Amino acid sequence: MGAEALERLNRGKAPGAQVQWVETLTWSKEHKVERYRLGNGLTLLLLVDHGAPVFSYQTWFSVGSRHERPGKTGLAHLFEHLMFNESKHLPKGEFDRKLEECGAESNAATWVDWTYYHENVPSDRLKLVVDLEAERMAHLVLREPQVTSEKEVVSNERRQRVEDDVDGSVAELLYKTAFQRHGYGWPTIGWMEDIQNFSTKDCEDFYRTYYAPNNATIVVVGDVDREELLSRVQRRYGAMEAAEIPVEDVRPEPPQTEERVVEVEKPTEVEKIAVGYRGPALGDADHVPLSVLNEILFGGRASRVHRAMVQEAEAAVDCRGWVSTFRDPGLYDITATARPGIRAEALLAILDRELGKVVEAPVDRTELERAKARMELSALHGMESCDGRAEQIGFYEVVTGDPVGALARLTPLRRVTVTDLLRVARRYLVKEARSVILVRAALARREAPLEGSVEDVTGERQISL
Amino acid sequence: MKRIVETSTAVPLVSMSLVFRSGSALDPPGKEGLARVTGRMLRRGGAGKTAQQIEEAIDTLGGEFSSEVNFGWTAVGASVLSRNAEAMAELIGALVAEPSFDEIELGKLQREIEAELIESRDSDSVLASRALRREVFGSHRYGRRVSGYIPTLRALTPEDVRQYHRNVFCKKNAFLVFSGDLSDRRARHLAELLTLRLPEGAGIPDPVGEPEVRPGRHLVLVDKPERTQTQMYLGTLGSHPRDDDLIPLQVATSVLGGTFNARMMQEVRVQRGWSYGAYARLGLDRHRELFSMWAAPAAGDAPGCLALLLSLLVRWHQDGVEAKELSFTKNYLRRSYVFDLDTAQKRAQQRISAEVYDLPKGYHETYTDHIKAVTRKQVNQAIQGRINPNNLVIAVVGSHKELGAALEQAIPDLSSSKVVPYDLE
Repeated sequence: MGAEALERLNRGKAPGAQVQWVETLTWSKEHKVERYRLGNGLTLLLLVDHGAPVFSYQTWFSVGSRHERPGKTGLAHLFEHLMFNESKHLPKGEFDRKLEECGAESNAATWVDWTYYHENVPSDRLKLVVDLEAERMAHLVLREPQVTSEKEVVSNERRQRVEDDVDGSVAELLYKTAFQRHGYGWPTIGWMEDIQNFSTKDCEDFYRTYYAPNNATIVVVGDVDREELLSRVQRRYGAMEAAEIPVEDVRPEPPQTEERVVEVEKPTEVEKIAVGYRGPALGDADHVPLSVLNEILFGGRASRVHRAMVQEAEAAVDCRGWVSTFRDPGLYDITATARPGIRAEALLAILDRELGKVVEAPVDRTELERAKARMELSALHGMESCDGRAEQIGFYEVVTGDPVGALARLTPLRRVTVTDLLRVARRYLVKEARSVILVRAALARREAPLEGSVEDVTGERQISL
Repeated sequence: MKRIVETSTAVPLVSMSLVFRSGSALDPPGKEGLARVTGRMLRRGGAGKTAQQIEEAIDTLGGEFSSEVNFGWTAVGASVLSRNAEAMAELIGALVAEPSFDEIELGKLQREIEAELIESRDSDSVLASRALRREVFGSHRYGRRVSGYIPTLRALTPEDVRQYHRNVFCKKNAFLVFSGDLSDRRARHLAELLTLRLPEGAGIPDPVGEPEVRPGRHLVLVDKPERTQTQMYLGTLGSHPRDDDLIPLQVATSVLGGTFNARMMQEVRVQRGWSYGAYARLGLDRHRELFSMWAAPAAGDAPGCLALLLSLLVRWHQDGVEAKELSFTKNYLRRSYVFDLDTAQKRAQQRISAEVYDLPKGYHETYTDHIKAVTRKQVNQAIQGRINPNNLVIAVVGSHKELGAALEQAIPDLSSSKVVPYDLE
């Protein structure tokens, strides 16, 4: 945006509402990401694309479950729910009603490092969405019975995602085992006891502390008029005051020197393993090469571990690997589900054998090239829609400070060498620094008959009424 | 052969699909799972390549191969880096026309799917939705599981797979869909590569008859231990794509449970905090599909939540929708429609649905006009004509010992109650 237009926008505005262009970054051949900042610290990232008459409007706050403390876990996530309630100028229910009535989709998400709110909106409703988002950032009303009701909703969400979900509960246990000091050790949804004990005051304190313009980034992608957007943002957010964001009481995880193994029984018919090696932060130079190595090990049916575990040994139903995408060092997180009758130890033995090979010897260059092609494909997936791009821009901004990081990663990806993979394998695949969860099957399996239709195996009990 | 093309240069990716107008509804009784197994076998050897060579070829191209099997159609295709689209089309064309259907690979796949079916018992929502479909459709083909059952999977032979492939995978039974970074001309070339070796074959008649409503109220409790929560579905037969009142019933369903402001979400989640979500859905397929309601209350709240859902359904049926909520819902459906069209892939998906569900001509193109024109009278007549709350299946996953009696008491005029083990399928 030209200096003249900015000057026009800033004329007569209070210092907090003055908008400043900061930088313009390349997203693709056709599109740029522009960064603006208001005087009160609010960041705005904008990618204009008139391809469809829609835009995505997202508000990212640099607060997630890592900013909580023991006894108050799950507050960031509960708060995400409360943000859809009443505010000073909007009665309860009006936020969703106004958005849905104009055809908008809205939702929110919380994770370890961040919380974000998103709306996909027909392009003629820019004013509405700016008004609504600014209203709840500055004027949320927190009171009973909404807080109690929302705690009940979140308890049910936890039952669905964790208590009654084997994979969810195992993932929770893995991170609890691996992180004994860092906030990554407690679940983003929070422990059930903590969720049920939150008070309205806890929520008010959290809101005053973290929901401020200088802790927020607005991401807009799509069919909007730049000058109109900036003007509306100035008008609705400009009067908000910056807050003193507390210095995070960060608790780096001490080096792990001994393998931690936990055995747990779950209501399932098949055993599982979850393994967490220490992993690099998303912004670390090792993150890309370790992700490439993960692709060689777990990416698709031609990958090494899938081939060994699922296809050759027929020991697993599925196996997955993921290098966590956190701001601080996280985990190289691996899971596998055994076939009926196979013990978790058998999966672990195959995994150890395959990981041992990449620590011992370089991978083939052809494997490396295949992994790069797969990763290029997955980087581009989801990037056609406005919300897909806005999500990547917001995520990389709050976690790494680089809003074009999702596509910028393709450059170091192309440069990764076989030597890089050997280096990260030897640096991160260290048994002494891993956590292992062995999941035992508590449910006995009935053998299905070899012949006959499904009706023959029902064991149904019919009650006549 | 019909060719659908939706272009977008937003990202350098191309998606391509060969869509066959047949799916698992063709599976012979006792051979359920055959269509899906055939689709999954395509990447396990063919065109002179082993399974491993095929996987490596797909990865090298930066592609993701997919085979999707539904009741009435099968889509085989890939998403791929644009620069490699021709090579991918050639590969898929060869695999679809010349699969090896190797016996050893078939055995491996049968064992793999069997293990997947056992693992899927960990998902309570899968168990509940399967129970609903099974009980609503009974012996009708829509009541069967697309993935098959353990005994029927074990019964499949290489000859079954070859026979199915010969019947279904031919030009007369197919159309092509492309989306992404390609012109119409390039799509034409890709189409040639995809179908070069495909036989002409013959069109296949639809084997599915119309399902019949099951009279009475029936409870099926999927008994599973250690549940803190229940997964709960209520359902009956809903719409046929050729119904005159299809769109009015869609609007009505949306008033009941299609948005955050809908009756179900407001009553179940917002007012009581009983479930993280609460939705109603009207399925769409070539024949009459399900109308269903869903919630997932804590075990202790399950009887109360079930009684509430039933009362919401009865009130919706008896009193119909109000003018204010109708106006709200119509605005939502009309204006949000733009999000069904904002990417090339979504536009392509719409056009696939028009083909495979045999939707009335211009269904998608005139959708928002039809929504706008819907009246309260039409909506309420559609509810009265299509949904009867006395003919209902209630499927719940939970502990029978803890919940069985309380759930039965929560359902007035219950005709039958059945308990099935969680590992029924």
